Amino acid sequence: MASFDYSALTVDGIRAGLAAGDFSAREIAEAALARIEAADAKVNAFLQLIPDAALAAADAVDAAVAAGKLNELGPLAGVPVGFKDNMNLLGTRTTCGSHMLENYESMYTATCVQRLLDAGGLPMGKLNMDEFAFGSSTETSAFGTTKNPWDLERVPGGSSGGSAAAVAAGMLPITLGSDTGGSIRQPASFCGVVGVKPTYGLVSRYGVVAFGSSLDQVGPFARTVRDAALAMNALVGHDPLDCTSQPCTTDFTANLEQGVEGMRIGVVPEFMTAQGLEPEVGEAVLDAIQKLASAGAEIVEVDLPNAAAAMSAYYVIGPSEAFSNLSRFDSVRYGLCDPGHADLGSQYEASRSRGFGPEARRRIMLGSYLLSAGVYDTYYYPAQQVRTLITDDYRMAFGECDCILAPASPRTAFKFGEITDPTTMHLSDIFTISINIAGNGGMSVPLGLGKDSKLPVSAQLICPWFQDENMLRVAAALEREYGAAELPPAFASGRAGE
Amino acid sequence: MSEHVTEQDVRRIAEYARIGLTDDELPQMTADLNSIIDSLKPITEYDLEGVEPTFHPIGDLSNVMREDVEGTSFTQAEALSNAPAKENGSFLIPSILGGGDA
Repeated sequence: MASFDYSALTVDGIRAGLAAGDFSAREIAEAALARIEAADAKVNAFLQLIPDAALAAADAVDAAVAAGKLNELGPLAGVPVGFKDNMNLLGTRTTCGSHMLENYESMYTATCVQRLLDAGGLPMGKLNMDEFAFGSSTETSAFGTTKNPWDLERVPGGSSGGSAAAVAAGMLPITLGSDTGGSIRQPASFCGVVGVKPTYGLVSRYGVVAFGSSLDQVGPFARTVRDAALAMNALVGHDPLDCTSQPCTTDFTANLEQGVEGMRIGVVPEFMTAQGLEPEVGEAVLDAIQKLASAGAEIVEVDLPNAAAAMSAYYVIGPSEAFSNLSRFDSVRYGLCDPGHADLGSQYEASRSRGFGPEARRRIMLGSYLLSAGVYDTYYYPAQQVRTLITDDYRMAFGECDCILAPASPRTAFKFGEITDPTTMHLSDIFTISINIAGNGGMSVPLGLGKDSKLPVSAQLICPWFQDENMLRVAAALEREYGAAELPPAFASGRAGE
Repeated sequence: MSEHVTEQDVRRIAEYARIGLTDDELPQMTADLNSIIDSLKPITEYDLEGVEPTFHPIGDLSNVMREDVEGTSFTQAEALSNAPAKENGSFLIPSILGGGDA
């Protein structure tokens, strides 16, 4: 039993403890492994654990500390980290939650993963996800469901459900997820943790298995806003290996303590009256607006008249891009192969049929249909025009405000099997999808527990392009009002889901 | 709900997308696709006359070029390391046109 409370540690706490000699990085890694062993038996967030890599990274941190060089280590020195299983890390399998890639061994390391390792992070393993990130509950993973630490009968959200649940259950202080339509913000909301989808272009996607290339963005999960900001500092910056990657030298921790006085916070009436928004979520968001107003923010109404079309635009653009991206799984170069066929065409069809699960097959089929001759002009081209309208809406809105506050998810976590209709499942993302369409940054920040469900409720903050520091600043102000994300009672210090 | 695609259409889409579908799977896939396509209707109802499309979310960025310099890349062995079937340093596949030896 460690002499420190591992699950309660923040990034700053780990650094301070290393500096003071309270514990070593190896002790942190061992405490993380013990915590994961105990808690993940209930949660099932991990698809793969890599203790050897974690301990080797820890020993490197300890060697630097012993040499008096802690100051030369990156901002995440000694911090256990985990990665959604669509991110390549040399020496691991990268399965994407799919039988298609069940045995795929990463040949290289994704830039986002490398950046956390370069910052001193300890790689603990790979985290469960909806198959190829197609889903909002992590139920479509080919390798079993991940449980919500707040209620093991409920989903953690998705597609980055493993990344959210591992943070929520106190297994890891920081994980990475990817967000194409809400896949970081919605599970962060369901699990009551901070989840950031940065502005498109801030974080390199090199080495992250592509879903919708004009929508995908990588970002961190954490229990505190400051931890998320520190992870952002490590993640951003130009990468020549992703042609959408932008330079960035922002210190995302710089204005966290500044408060919101004088900031203009936008509220979208269409969102607050949206069909399907649960009363307790709407009330919590209104309360957050009140608290920001009391803290000195100016609340302004902004209109997003075309945001309602974002859902249908997304279900044109997303599957079309996914169809194109997933055509690479040819059963020849890598991935599942159904052997013994007399011709290549039969091998393709059998392998892709066996390798892809139902939701992946549906999206591939939908994308194939939408891009076919005659249909393209009915859906795909207009969807890209609607994208212009939505992007212009946000640009206009951010002429009036510095940050928008909205619900993250219309409801709290649902039970396993509760939503089986694909179109209903897609509605989980009604407040997050338009942000991917427009490319802005967005993040979830916990507002405590819903008064009816007693499950986590979150607000979503949305920022102008490349002004992600705005939303982190507002998030820090909300965190001061509501307190940092707590561990669920069943996973509070010393408990592991009993 | 309108019928946007028939089972016969779905069969053709599956062939094009190289997804093998059994006869048992066909009715459900057809129903699912029709339901999803139905939900895309708002896209077809907008007045989009004169609206330029956006293919990339951050529209005002320009292309980035770099010098064409030689660098290291994957070795042949690395490139083949995940291949389901290989022979003599190549990916191994069955006959492309069919009729040959598997």
